[in-house]
Amino acid sequence: MSDRGEVDLTGAKQNTGVWLVKVPKYLSQQWAKATGRGEVGKLRIGKNQGKAEVSFTLNEELTTIDSSSGKAPVVRAPREHPFTMQTVGGQTLAVFTETSSGENQLTNKIALEGVVVQRAECRPAASENYMRLKRLQIEESSKPHRFSQQLDKAVTTNYKPVANHAYNLDYEKKKKEEGKRARADKQQVLDMLFSAFEKHQYYNIKDLVDITKQPVIYLKEILRDIGIYNVKGTHKNTWELKPEYRHYQNEEKSD
Amino acid sequence: MTSLGNSSSTGTEYIVRVPKNTSKRYNIMAFNAGDKVNCSTWTQARMERDMSNRRMYGEEETPEAGAGSEFGKKQREEARRKKYGIITKEFKVEDQPWLLKVNGKAGRRFKGLKKGGVTENASYYIFTQCADGAFEAFPVHGWYNFTPQAKHRTLTAEEAEEEWGRRNKVVNHFSIMLQRRLREQEHGEEEEEVAGEKGGKKKKKKGGKGGDLRIHDLEDDLEMSSDESDSSGGEDGEGKSKSKKDISSKAKAKKKKKRKGSDQEGLEDSDDGDFEGLEVDYMSDESSSEEEEPEKAKPNKGDDVPKGIDEASESEEESEEENKNEEEGKEEEEEEEGKKTPVQTEKKKKKEKESSGESDSSEDSDIEGETASALFMKKRTPPKRGGRGSAGSSRTGSRPGTPSIDNAATSNTLRAAASKLEQGKRQAATSSSDTPAAKRLKMEPSSQSPSGKSTPQPASGKSTPSSSDVQLTEDAVRRYLIRKPMTTKDLLKKFQTKRTGLSSEQTVNVLAQILKKLNPERKNINDKMHFYLTE
Repeated sequence: MSDRGEVDLTGAKQNTGVWLVKVPKYLSQQWAKATGRGEVGKLRIGKNQGKAEVSFTLNEELTTIDSSSGKAPVVRAPREHPFTMQTVGGQTLAVFTETSSGENQLTNKIALEGVVVQRAECRPAASENYMRLKRLQIEESSKPHRFSQQLDKAVTTNYKPVANHAYNLDYEKKKKEEGKRARADKQQVLDMLFSAFEKHQYYNIKDLVDITKQPVIYLKEILRDIGIYNVKGTHKNTWELKPEYRHYQNEEKSD
Repeated sequence: MTSLGNSSSTGTEYIVRVPKNTSKRYNIMAFNAGDKVNCSTWTQARMERDMSNRRMYGEEETPEAGAGSEFGKKQREEARRKKYGIITKEFKVEDQPWLLKVNGKAGRRFKGLKKGGVTENASYYIFTQCADGAFEAFPVHGWYNFTPQAKHRTLTAEEAEEEWGRRNKVVNHFSIMLQRRLREQEHGEEEEEVAGEKGGKKKKKKGGKGGDLRIHDLEDDLEMSSDESDSSGGEDGEGKSKSKKDISSKAKAKKKKKRKGSDQEGLEDSDDGDFEGLEVDYMSDESSSEEEEPEKAKPNKGDDVPKGIDEASESEEESEEENKNEEEGKEEEEEEEGKKTPVQTEKKKKKEKESSGESDSSEDSDIEGETASALFMKKRTPPKRGGRGSAGSSRTGSRPGTPSIDNAATSNTLRAAASKLEQGKRQAATSSSDTPAAKRLKMEPSSQSPSGKSTPQPASGKSTPSSSDVQLTEDAVRRYLIRKPMTTKDLLKKFQTKRTGLSSEQTVNVLAQILKKLNPERKNINDKMHFYLTE
């Protein structure tokens, strides 16, 4: 598909200029709460004695911070945020977008939106409000995630002594009803073995016992006839059919 | 809706919007300023994820069912990982690098690696101005650093280390890559050649690898058989694999030649070792097992020689004929000395064989061939002794003198002439003129070299029809080799045909024999085999 991977270069051709702005975390969180069309605030660009001054004012309704504890907001986010402008130099920054059409990542559309012409950092204006907010944040993050706590009473609800565990009872019952494994007809066992070996090449003796429900000694006798025991190699301690009995796709042998 | 200038300072206010429901994800594509990337100049671009890391996280390629699979393997593997706490990182497509190709196939290529930690503590937003004057802010999802990918060839780490070691010696650094490219070209050609030769070789010979090569070469010269050149390369390979035995191969070579001639047609796809120990009906009445052994040794030696020749010819850009000769010569020279002699003998034997096989008389080939065959004939004659029959190799002087007598028996004018020549050369031939003695000499040239040299020296000295300034003598070669390590090519240059009066082929043969006798030490300098003596 030639479309896939093709980059839409309209933005680059138009040389659309964009700004790259670094925004504090709390501010981006507030922005995420914006309603409606997504208006979050106002950007004021002015010229003060030849220097461009950019400042962002947060909308009123977005200043309320929901603290994690669910209590009424103690602090509010500051409103004024001057921007610190920086040059892009040293790097050429372009912006590209990926349109994820559904889950399939491979059919994304990639477009070049533009080139970054200005870098800026959004800083909160130093205010009492902000300081309080910061202090709260620090307190929050300095709390340890794990801590030790002393208990008053010993915990007695976990392990209680039991005459016999429920699991054990079930196990014994199952064993009883299954009974000792009886030796079935040799031919039948062989059939079972062959069909098992059709599915997989290497088997553990325990698994074979499980599948065939035969006593181990008897099963081993039969296996010694038709199979070999791998001692070395990657498939250690496994049984496989003798070459002449094998009939796998990859191998040329057949019985 | 912009509200214009309402603040004290001159400025304008813009509304900032953060759109909520975009399916578009914004990412940053960062280029180094030094790469001089200008996006507006791009005509077309393709970008896709680099999935080459996917297999790292893939499971081992064990079959799930059927052959090779184990019952319950998956569960066991899972239990094992849990027990050891092995956690494999998931392959996240999001984190894979980007491959950007600009301006089609011939354009630039970039690789974009994701920069980590961008969205952890602060968020980046892209502020775009919309048509209505408001700003729209989009959060940056990921940051990728794009670096250009080199399209020119680069050296690997080992090669770079090598070159670094040589930086003081190499003047022209620009030619390093050029040489490498040329070498690769040659190598590629040689490989094809070798492949072809190998096929041809098998057809031609049996057993006598080295000898076979030789034989083929000669045959080429003589235009006796086709695809000779093919075999030379193959022979080289085979020769190398053979162990070099220090056995006088003259007899063997002779035998081989005979065999070859007789069984040429049936020799397709014969392996080197297949014919050892085979009893073959020879044209002549040579059939001693003793000879057979030496012959076998000879082919082995001969094998080495072919290899040498390949190397030599690879670096030489000479005319075909010269190449041929040099191939022969190189084969003889580059391989162990021991080989050389056998090779030479084999070569000669080949020629002889040819003649004997086909017409049992000198063949009607070019003069060179005739001379050679004549020479070979001479050698051939004493097959019983396992006569090395190396007319050329007789230069070593260890050849028994009997061949000459036998040669005389072969009624061939050319041979007679050649034999005369040889006789002249052989006059100083070894004291021991019997084959066994000669064999012994040949077998232990190294051990006997100090002593043996004295004897053959006069012989080798005579090997060149003196009439020139420089004689291709053992002494001369020794001098050169003691002074400094030289390749066979260098040695050949020293004894130019014009000055020694020998034909290039003869030069090659003689030189090979001398080298074999001298048994110099070999050293690999700059990928070339150098010989040197320390005395």
